[in-house]
Amino acid sequence: MEKISRYILVLVAILTFSIFLPDFYWKLFEKPNRSPFVLYSCIDKDFIIQQGRNRYDNKGNKLTRKEWEEKLPLLNMRQLMIYGLFPDSINGCIMDPHEIGLNKSFFRFKPKDMNTPQAHLFPLFESESGRVKIEMPQDFFRITKRMEFVDAKTNSVIKNKSRMFTAVLQKRGFAFPAKLIAGIPTTRKSCDEGYIVTDSKDQLFHIKMVKGHPYIQKVKVPKGLKFKYIACVDFRDKKYYCYLFSQKNEIYILTQDEYDLIKFPIKDFQPKKEELRIFGDLFNYNVIRLGENYTQVVALDKEYKKVAEYNKTWLSRAERKEGKVFSYIFPAQISMFNKYSDYINFYYAKTKGFNWIILNLLLVFGHFLILKRRKVIFKNHLIDFSIILITGIYGFLAVNLFQNKFFK
Amino acid sequence: MWKSIIFKEWLKVRWYLIGATLLLGVFVSYIFINVKHDITFQDANNLWYLILFKKYQFFGLIKYLPLLVGIGIAAAQYVPEIVSKRVKLSFHLPVNENKMLLMMLGFGNLSLLICFSIVFSIFISLSNCFFAYEIVNEAIITIIPWLLGGIAAYSLVGLIVMEPIWMYKIFYLVVTSMFIPLYYERGITGAYKPVNLTLAIITLLISVSLLFSAYRFRKGEM
Amino acid sequence: MDNNVIECKNLTHYYGKKLVYENLNFNVREGSILGLLGKNGAGKTTTINILNGFLQPRSGECLIFGENSQHLTPETKGRIGFLIEGHVQYAFMDIYQIEKFYSKFYPNWNSEPYWDLMSKLKVTPTQKISSMSCGQRSQVALGLILAQDPDLLILDDFSMGLDPGYRRLFIDYLREYAKANNKTIFVTSHIISDMERLIDDLLIMDYNRVLAQCPVNQFMDSFKQFTFELDNNNIDLSKEKFVASVDKIKNKVELHTFESEDFVKEFLKKENISVKNFKQVEMNLEDAFIGLTGKY
Repeated sequence: MEKISRYILVLVAILTFSIFLPDFYWKLFEKPNRSPFVLYSCIDKDFIIQQGRNRYDNKGNKLTRKEWEEKLPLLNMRQLMIYGLFPDSINGCIMDPHEIGLNKSFFRFKPKDMNTPQAHLFPLFESESGRVKIEMPQDFFRITKRMEFVDAKTNSVIKNKSRMFTAVLQKRGFAFPAKLIAGIPTTRKSCDEGYIVTDSKDQLFHIKMVKGHPYIQKVKVPKGLKFKYIACVDFRDKKYYCYLFSQKNEIYILTQDEYDLIKFPIKDFQPKKEELRIFGDLFNYNVIRLGENYTQVVALDKEYKKVAEYNKTWLSRAERKEGKVFSYIFPAQISMFNKYSDYINFYYAKTKGFNWIILNLLLVFGHFLILKRRKVIFKNHLIDFSIILITGIYGFLAVNLFQNKFFK
Repeated sequence: MWKSIIFKEWLKVRWYLIGATLLLGVFVSYIFINVKHDITFQDANNLWYLILFKKYQFFGLIKYLPLLVGIGIAAAQYVPEIVSKRVKLSFHLPVNENKMLLMMLGFGNLSLLICFSIVFSIFISLSNCFFAYEIVNEAIITIIPWLLGGIAAYSLVGLIVMEPIWMYKIFYLVVTSMFIPLYYERGITGAYKPVNLTLAIITLLISVSLLFSAYRFRKGEM
Repeated sequence: MDNNVIECKNLTHYYGKKLVYENLNFNVREGSILGLLGKNGAGKTTTINILNGFLQPRSGECLIFGENSQHLTPETKGRIGFLIEGHVQYAFMDIYQIEKFYSKFYPNWNSEPYWDLMSKLKVTPTQKISSMSCGQRSQVALGLILAQDPDLLILDDFSMGLDPGYRRLFIDYLREYAKANNKTIFVTSHIISDMERLIDDLLIMDYNRVLAQCPVNQFMDSFKQFTFELDNNNIDLSKEKFVASVDKIKNKVELHTFESEDFVKEFLKKENISVKNFKQVEMNLEDAFIGLTGKY
């Protein structure tokens, strides 16, 4: 029994060390690595790169800050206006600040947005209240076996409203329960467009409330197209409701009113591991994908057709000096946090390669010397040796903290 | 015979246990007095909104209480045993030593479990009065690791108290103070969902850790 | 052949590098009372700890009722009554709770001697043992052991904190009880004078060696003290093999030895040491103990 309890303690110690020691290491030795900020210039018809405080064009010419601002006039409109350098027209198009503002949009997605705990309870706003301000409703809805509205004050289901919405959903062919429910659950938006929802059969619906009544549209979706994430947007141009990521790693938008699904010419977007930023302006969309050690920027025109593409990779953390040293010390790392998820878990990451074997063998030998001094029977310590061989520094510390000292 | 051991453990921890249960009870009551106050002053829907989308933890007040209770019960139960090495008396009783220890730590774990279950079920039923089950569910997921942390701390403090060698007491304290924070990471509400079961299993496993240091005590390590 | 209740064979123990003793052998016969005597730090408590399985000796083993003391079965532990040095007990209990607690463990539990002793204590029924005086606590601890009715009693420094009168009473009671019920007792004490009335056999330990191990009578017969006055003050007898210890104040000598009067006289004669007023002095056990182990 006491031997079992020792192995449990050794296990706990290994777990603890494999969380803390690598963490200490990275905090001490990791060097920052900024990814480049790349945008398509409507002046150059090419990409402009900003890396830290240095700015270049795509041919490698260094740019001053002012030059950089001039090459991206739509992004830096206000600054250029102060300088008096804002052009009257670009590409034969007369510059109207109102028009420019209307076409400006910014969207940002992080893998964490998909991997986050969320209670599936949302406020359904009144879309046409006739008031300037959007008001927070008194109730929240869920879509399980039916659509239910729960009144917050009494914590009870509002029967009539629930029945009404459920009936209309059924009529439109909604298969309960909902899989994805996406909306903008805040009163701080220009107007309310309700929620984009997928049902259990992966059908797509638009649900909102107009003057207290359900407005529910089923969206025509090509056969086989399934979505794994939907992000609603509130842009001033009112061109589309949301971005949708498909199971096949494509990016779609859903246009307003016509409910057309338009596919972006982006290949194999990995929402679990890549950040996505979309800058929209009068002429282009810059679709920026950011992975751990690469970025891809695709410039689209206003018809969502690809204009140009920029790719860059750099050394990942594991490939840099501090990562290589790491690989000689630690056989693996466990973290409670993950940059791709809001969930806490024991995230296990094995160190690539087998450099750590050297240290592990040294530690096995070191343990052998320690035991030799203690004059013990080696046969009783074979499990400890294998623990050190596998877990290296963690196991070495653990078996020596919880000493294998048992009597016959 | 077993009744006698339970009787002895009960004598040691009864006031701490009753006190801890009351303390937790007071805090849980305070949480819901706050909830009631918030609903009265800023409308229930705003409070729901904060909880659902701003990840406000209306129960955050009790976070470290189970930890304190776990440490307190362990101290109440095991410190009297090592004062004047009194645990020798227990080892000398005509009972297998490990069975005796398992009985002791079983009692401690069970009393913690009972204390936590009482308070936790009060918390859940009050939550159900005010909030939809989605909110209650997330709250439960968030509180479970805090409770498990209290139970794990109980086991590891027992290990430290019983360890006969001071240097190792300190080593174990270091490992414990690195390990216990794993139950109290600053995650958002519901973040512990994928790991709660693993933590529960680990907590269950370390509940026997006392056997190790007690063995070292019995064999006269010094 | 006698039945040995305790058999210790080749006990060797160190604390770190410090030797406590090497190859210690002793037995305790059934129905006998053995006193382990020694100065503080001579290894008395070490021996008790090994006997109770609270210490693993470096080598050698102790058998109690034929079982290795490191792995006593619950049944055997039930036959042993153990008084911890300082009369340690569960101090958070009162005298009723502690009696209730222990009574469930021992099939032969007989609470009569316990309540006998308790009735003499002036304690309130709900008074915790922790708030009792040293003497009261010792009586609780002793009373519990008597109620347990064990076959072997291991008493570590039982007389500590007892009043002299009560100590005497208790020793007489204990001896009477042991002899009447054929109990075996292993006892340590640093108050030697108590032991003379109690023990049959003795084991005297000094730092890392055994000085004497025999029945008390035999020890008292064979160990002698002689006093005499030297003519020559400068003669040093302490190096002689037969001398257990020697004290010299000016020319007055106190010499302790296992040898006979004749032997000593013969020796003095042979060595041409002239002495005056040679005589053998009657000793009690305490005198003999000090004579054997030295005053320091």
